Amino acid sequence: MAETHSLQDLRQAAVASKVFVQRDYTSGTICKFQTKFPAELESRIDKVQFEETIQTLNNLYAEAEKLGGRSYLEGCLACLTAYTIFLCMETHYEKVLKKIAKFIQEQNEKIYAPLGLLLTDPIERGLRVVEITIFEDRSIGSR
Amino acid sequence: MPVGLSVGGALGDPSPSRPFRPSRYVPVSAATAFLVGATTLFLCFTCPWLSEKFSSFIPLYNVVVFLFTLANFCMATFMDPGVFPRAEEDEDKEDDFRAPLYKTVEVRGIQVRMKWCSTCRFYRPPRCSHCSVCDNCVEEFDHHCPWVNNCIGRRNYRYFFLFLLSLTVHIMDVFGFSLLYILHHTKQLDLVQSGVTMAVMCVAGLFFVPVAGLTGFHVVLVARGRTTNEQVTGKFRGGVNPFTHGCFKNIAHVLCSSQAPRYLGRLRKPQSVQVQPPFLRPPLSEAQLAAKVLDNGIQQSKSSLEIMESQSTDADPPPPPKPEHRYPGLPHTQNEECSLLTEAPPTPSLYKYRPAYSSPGKNHTASTHSSKMSRGNSMTESPSVPVTTGQPSYRSDPSLSSRGAAGCRGGAEGGRSGSGGLGGASAFGGRSYPSFTDTLLQSAAASCSSSLRSAHTAHNALGPLISEGTTSTSYKSLANQTRNGSLSYESLLTPSESPEFESAAHELSPPRPHPPHSLSTAAGAAPILGYTSPFLSAQQREGSLQACPAPLRPSPNRAFLRPISSPPSRAPPLSPRARSLGSPPPGPAPGHTPLGKSMSYGGGAELQHRPSSSGGGTSMPNNTVSFFLPPMATLEFLHAHPPFLCPFPFSVLFLSLRSSAVLFPALLLPCGHKDESVSVLSSTIKQNVANHNTHSHKPARGVKKVSGVGGTTYEISV
Repeated sequence: MAETHSLQDLRQAAVASKVFVQRDYTSGTICKFQTKFPAELESRIDKVQFEETIQTLNNLYAEAEKLGGRSYLEGCLACLTAYTIFLCMETHYEKVLKKIAKFIQEQNEKIYAPLGLLLTDPIERGLRVVEITIFEDRSIGSR
Repeated sequence: MPVGLSVGGALGDPSPSRPFRPSRYVPVSAATAFLVGATTLFLCFTCPWLSEKFSSFIPLYNVVVFLFTLANFCMATFMDPGVFPRAEEDEDKEDDFRAPLYKTVEVRGIQVRMKWCSTCRFYRPPRCSHCSVCDNCVEEFDHHCPWVNNCIGRRNYRYFFLFLLSLTVHIMDVFGFSLLYILHHTKQLDLVQSGVTMAVMCVAGLFFVPVAGLTGFHVVLVARGRTTNEQVTGKFRGGVNPFTHGCFKNIAHVLCSSQAPRYLGRLRKPQSVQVQPPFLRPPLSEAQLAAKVLDNGIQQSKSSLEIMESQSTDADPPPPPKPEHRYPGLPHTQNEECSLLTEAPPTPSLYKYRPAYSSPGKNHTASTHSSKMSRGNSMTESPSVPVTTGQPSYRSDPSLSSRGAAGCRGGAEGGRSGSGGLGGASAFGGRSYPSFTDTLLQSAAASCSSSLRSAHTAHNALGPLISEGTTSTSYKSLANQTRNGSLSYESLLTPSESPEFESAAHELSPPRPHPPHSLSTAAGAAPILGYTSPFLSAQQREGSLQACPAPLRPSPNRAFLRPISSPPSRAPPLSPRARSLGSPPPGPAPGHTPLGKSMSYGGGAELQHRPSSSGGGTSMPNNTVSFFLPPMATLEFLHAHPPFLCPFPFSVLFLSLRSSAVLFPALLLPCGHKDESVSVLSSTIKQNVANHNTHSHKPARGVKKVSGVGGTTYEISV
């Protein structure tokens, strides 16, 4: 991808492969990702840690899509203002998405980057997959 | 699709610039003109008198309703309906030639098919569909509305629905108050105001009937939790809708959910995290260490490792056997392992591409072995489909056949879909769905198809060891290549005859994709599956014929796969034919087979609608409405957009549609009567559609049990 070919990235490890964690549709069309541990990550990260990350993501998305009083009020307010409120106010979903982006960044910094992995925010893929980039581990050998 | 410069540098630009087609703007301009023009005239000519005579609240009320209508109209018109960005190349690195066209997932106990979109390069999520007018996949696609010149999808359905409601109310108000004016001015009808008011009344009266009809239709859809697409393609006819949460919750979901985010045009934050070696490694478990010993870079599950060890005393696993040398007598579990070996990427370049869709399945052989990936890869998970060559490898369900027929009906895309449909339902384990590949190949080109067919049939004859993947591999690639609809309708007719056979035979083979070279194994194998294959037992043929009374299998609309017994190697079957959604989804529980309650809902009808062209999109003749329009669906669609509401150029086109003659009586039928309207239409529709009715929507009656691969028995509605 062009984005990774900047000068800055030359110092980064080379990308070895990518794993895509798909959506879990067993509960319908709500946004939920499979917590199944991909085989490619077996030697790179702890299974429990990975599942915890995905589960937290799922919980955050569930919060975003929750049909509660808050989203209802937001809808009513939008109707009353002929939807002009969307120009100034951030919707509930967007707020949670920001939270998710922050969470992913934190996870990357603290857990995944040291392991040679990188999580990509699923919103960039249309909430279809969680892309995990596996970087080449030159010290031990490419996997 | 014209390849042009990408417009906009926004993230995930959905499609290259499309040619400017002014005709697309005619309906939306007309709608805007009528709405704004008529209301303005009403407010200027009629309202002054009304405010004097009665109260000034009347014009105020009308203005409020009008503004609400206009706001919803604008939102429906300009809001992104939920377009998915094109998948990036990495996601689709899995070899096109090896990936199936369909993937089934289980949604709340019901099998749903996800189709590969060759334009957008991903498997369409459930309820997603590709709009050929917009050339994008849209989430929870409802329909493409020409009146707003936009797709209606997840993000803007609410505004569209509110627009319809408010427009109905507005029309009623305008008509009512205009009538009041006229009734008070019966002796002054020569006044300008009276004339204008009468004209406004006429316009309002004229638009009221179709708008109210459409509003009523959508009220029913919202209550049932369906999209227009699902309704007109009859996906849930006689079956269960896995996406409904009950009437109240469905309405709440439409009206009260938070605004879904857009996927396009998002600012992508630059990656600020540096990833530099050396990297930490998690501590390895014993099992992982054991695996490492045998691991030569090939992904293997522990169970397959055990198998390998038992096979050979060498520490290194044997090289992957070529498919043509596979010994048919090996137990089914070998297939998993063999297929694993064969699918090991031979030459890892910098990228070791894993199929996105198969991450839960293909790469996790253990899971496919033991437990059931309830989603992702099929209704049946494991390749543990024993070679039940003795079994009438029945091709599961009407959906398959319907897709086969649909293929016949639809031309290129239809052909693909038909086969895909077959594949989808017949998937056993893994993720490939071999059956459709035959149809595809047959339809692809007569000249090359015959050789390919024999290759594929050979595969099937070799039973489970021949991965269905080989046959299915070309499917996705062909789908990608034949976007321009090179398939002819006629070429699909023959194969449509026995989509059952295809899938039946296919089901003998395990769901493992194999490198294309395995195609060469064909020789002397089962003859062409698309046609009556001598390899299929009489029972198979009978079964499929009974399931599919007409020679051309129809059932564009529904396919319910209801296995009532699972193969012995599987977990005990779940309750058969779970008609209600009450049964909890099996989830990732190991040993669970989704088969027990699988009712495949896969969008057969959708498949058939591709009269031609784009692999990803659905095209509609004459560009009238970019929408799926099988002949049967034309009724429903035209109900949604009645012909006489159309501006002149479109009315001609509507009249030219096949079913328009029969449309009117059925136009205002409530949704519940769609079956009858369908029967009305069926006489005007090609024979392969007629078949649909026979077994489409009455699962409770005439259920035929047919057994499939591995002893799985399916109930087909006849």
